[in-house]
Amino acid sequence: MENADVFLGLQDFLERMRQPTAADFVKSIKSFIVSFSNNAPDPERDSAAVQDFFAQMEMDFRAHPLWAGCSEEELDSAGEGLEKYVMTKLFPRVFASVPDDVKLDDQLYEKMALVQQFIRPENLDIKPTFQNETSWLLAQKELQKINMYKAPRDKLVCILNCCKVINNLLLNASVASNENPPGADEFLPVLIYVTLKANPPQLHSNLLYIQRYRRQSRLVGETAYFFTNMLSVESFISNIDAKSISMDETEFEKNMETARALLSGLSTDLDSQYNQSGQYAGYVHRSESMEPRHQPLNANKDSAQPKSSERKSRAKNIPYGAKDNLSFSKIPSLSDLEDKGATILVNDDKASQVFREYPYLFAHVGDLTLNDVEDLLNNYKQLVFKYVCLSKGLGVAAPSLPVSSSQTEFHQHAETAKKQDHSRAIEPNDEVSNDSNRNDGSLEPNDEASNDTNRKDDGSIKEPLIDLDNLQSLLSQDQAVAPQGGKHEESSQ
Amino acid sequence: MGCSASLPDRSSSGRLVGPNSENGGASDAKNLRVKLVLLGDSGVGKSCIVLRFVRGQFDPTSKVTVGASFLSQTIALQDSTTVKFEIWDTAGQERYAALAPLYYRGAAVAVIVYDITSPESFNKAQYWVKELQKHGSPDIVLALVGNKADLHEKREVPVQDGIEYAEKNGMFFIETSAKTADNINQLFEEIAKRLPRPAISSTQNP
Ligand SMILES: Nc1nc2c(ncn2[C@@H]2O[C@H](COP(=O)(O)OP(=O)(O)O)[C@@H](O)[C@H]2O)c(=O)[nH]1
Ligand SMILES: [Mg+2]
Repeated sequence: MENADVFLGLQDFLERMRQPTAADFVKSIKSFIVSFSNNAPDPERDSAAVQDFFAQMEMDFRAHPLWAGCSEEELDSAGEGLEKYVMTKLFPRVFASVPDDVKLDDQLYEKMALVQQFIRPENLDIKPTFQNETSWLLAQKELQKINMYKAPRDKLVCILNCCKVINNLLLNASVASNENPPGADEFLPVLIYVTLKANPPQLHSNLLYIQRYRRQSRLVGETAYFFTNMLSVESFISNIDAKSISMDETEFEKNMETARALLSGLSTDLDSQYNQSGQYAGYVHRSESMEPRHQPLNANKDSAQPKSSERKSRAKNIPYGAKDNLSFSKIPSLSDLEDKGATILVNDDKASQVFREYPYLFAHVGDLTLNDVEDLLNNYKQLVFKYVCLSKGLGVAAPSLPVSSSQTEFHQHAETAKKQDHSRAIEPNDEVSNDSNRNDGSLEPNDEASNDTNRKDDGSIKEPLIDLDNLQSLLSQDQAVAPQGGKHEESSQ
Repeated sequence: MGCSASLPDRSSSGRLVGPNSENGGASDAKNLRVKLVLLGDSGVGKSCIVLRFVRGQFDPTSKVTVGASFLSQTIALQDSTTVKFEIWDTAGQERYAALAPLYYRGAAVAVIVYDITSPESFNKAQYWVKELQKHGSPDIVLALVGNKADLHEKREVPVQDGIEYAEKNGMFFIETSAKTADNINQLFEEIAKRLPRPAISSTQNP
């Protein structure tokens, strides 16, 4: 199973690579990485080359004095460290690197953007006992983190965490209602539903990337099972039609039409907004000047337009043209708007000031007193009011505000989840914050090691307060706000 | 209602080793690690069978605290080898049938379950047998299971039909009850015996 010590694994690995006796390893790792820059991408060949390289290196580690007398676990984490290091370097070359995959990504994204607007749990055979849309948001958030990471294992962990949240929710529901324990009949439909609603960008490419570059010998057991479920979700969604969701043919078409109209209406609105505000142009400048591997934080949830244009220009090697990026099919949903906002925030030097208005944003449970309750409640009411008005103003049905409506419920779930979860969910190491000082091909162990040290691996399902941590890492990237990671520490062990 | 209602069958000969006996994952001649996929209509009792197998021996009285979509269980055989089953549940609803190949790809065993009170589920079982014969890996071990054997008075699929169909298709057949735990362990032991063993001095590549 995915173990929680991989983060230590990378550190330990880099530590060993600094030893003089590791010079040969460093040399072969470097030259392997460099060898990739000389060839056009060819996923099958590249994947085979990477897998072979990992296998060979793992054998060499085993035979080398550096690991003399080490346990299997230590050797294993050296392998993990190697994988993470190499794949972080190779990511820009091998992720979504062929036009076909990019096209499938876009198609899948669009399909989900449409279907998510009218799909109901019943369409997928999710029994009423197991329906819990608010809590499913937790699972969605886990999945949406997939683009924050570059290493295959970290991406995989996002999927596993999503699956675990779902499993725990199903389990709680089954216990509460005296139902039989949930199996695949219950699990798969919820995973489909959650994926549709999360609509993580580049899902297809992410899955291929994991399949190709996660060390094969580690993609086994329960991990392989959940990963297979994700593959099967992708397959089901790409093939969704009236019949597969038990919908009348004409009703299905009508729903798709309405969804299209809604989204394209939104995207035209946005179009003019973007052009006026100039924020968008700022973004473009940024993304052009960066290599794709330096994906800005917003990559975690696609902001439909900028992202896809970036992808397209990468794929076809056409320089970005301001006109072609808002193609009609690129359709933002409410969450796209959120993402657009996030993009702007990332680029905004004064981002931290925006949050001064929200005094509780970085508070920890322990900081609060009873007297804060009233204040919090008022804050909350204002927020909800603003949010609902904004949604109405945009002509979008306002989904219930996730944080608030179910917070207590979440806590309960998280508690039970902790108790029941035998195999621990793991937070992948945050890579976003150390992207800026990466440089190609050179094995410079120091930067990663030091940048990763402030990261705690957290043995439990994460504190589910929606995107706070996202926001925090987003801010900490700008060095704007000091406090970080309090939630993780609280809920660990 | 619940399939974990009654006491488990303790009469079986194979010993369960306990859920946590990891062997680092690798199969060798003495310790097999085996992917087993469950197929069959919704409601035939797949989840109950697995839970009975995995949990039943240990704390029959406690509420189940695991999901049943993926479970693993190791059994020790009399020849002192062990088999770790990694059990993959599949969604039985019709709309998900087309996804099955993703799950049975690479499986060493497929357990195809029907409900002896439902001829329809028996038909579906035959459909899965045909599909696996066509698309499963050639050396896959197939087991046909008629579950809910405790419901005599409601039986609609005669034992003989199951036996004959299995015989014709060269597969193992057994009737079980996840409710009474009848034949549950026997099912997995029989499967374990039928698994192809890697050569003792393993020189070949899997
Ligand atoms: N009488 C009886 N009921 C069973 C048996 N196995 C399962 N059931 C019941 O059949 C229903 C469906 O079982 P489940 O394991 O969820 O089926 P699945 O959809 O194939 O996983 C549940 O209500 C179980 O309690 C059995 O051996 N005997
Ligand atoms: Mg089931």
